[in-house]
Amino acid sequence: MGRTIPPTDVLITLMGAPHADDTTTSAVRLVQAMLRQGARVQVWTCGYATMLTQRALGESKPRNLADWSVDYPSTTALVAELLNAFPDSLFWYGCRFCSDDRGAGEHLPGVVLRAPAKYADNVAAAGKTLLLGVI
Amino acid sequence: MAETLAIMERAYRGALEKQFFDALYLAVELHRQLGGMDLLLRGPAVSYAVAVAHVGSIEVGGRKVDTLSDPRRDLIRLQESGVAVWVEESDLAEFGVDGPAALLPGVRAAAPGEMARRWPDYRTVCFL
Repeated sequence: MGRTIPPTDVLITLMGAPHADDTTTSAVRLVQAMLRQGARVQVWTCGYATMLTQRALGESKPRNLADWSVDYPSTTALVAELLNAFPDSLFWYGCRFCSDDRGAGEHLPGVVLRAPAKYADNVAAAGKTLLLGVI
Repeated sequence: MAETLAIMERAYRGALEKQFFDALYLAVELHRQLGGMDLLLRGPAVSYAVAVAHVGSIEVGGRKVDTLSDPRRDLIRLQESGVAVWVEESDLAEFGVDGPAALLPGVRAAAPGEMARRWPDYRTVCFL
């Protein structure tokens, strides 16, 4: 029997690759704003966006040689912050095929990898679906 | 004279995931290793040099993130390292910048094609 997808108000499908433009920044801000207003949100990452939640990224980015003592959180740490702050209203999924295809290894424990053939179940569980960026 | 001309045309490439580690951070190293650099900002990248622009913080979960990419700070750091920063003047109006007076001190405006005519003077021309 397949996984039951908890119903949400919105599904954000994050297709755009990180490091290429400010899509990731915008998506995170949008998710935070919706959660703050009490919405239930799920995120499905596709393509290179699946790399945002790799455990290998650790808690922090590599040191900044110009500001050695400053801590710069990794995207993995930031997604963990979101999941911890909104444990009952945020759900984070990733496309297993895209993740495997890019060699993205272990993900945060709260991240659920799903086969692309299951994407329609996530769409069906959401009131609205927004696709951000292109793969 | 600088041996490298770096041209930046694309801007705003991952403020949250890159933070300090963006193309202008790389430029510091290229300037140091390649015998000095001039930097030309074109297209939307001209807005990097606007003096009054401000990079704020965002909230992610319960955490305040105040380490987003800050291109103005990076440009000042590059200038302090000896990099000459130019903007293509015709792109200022196109992207809503109110002329060269709105730019960081020391940033110079180039007429269209002016820097392209100087390409033969450089050993390396690259895009960042």
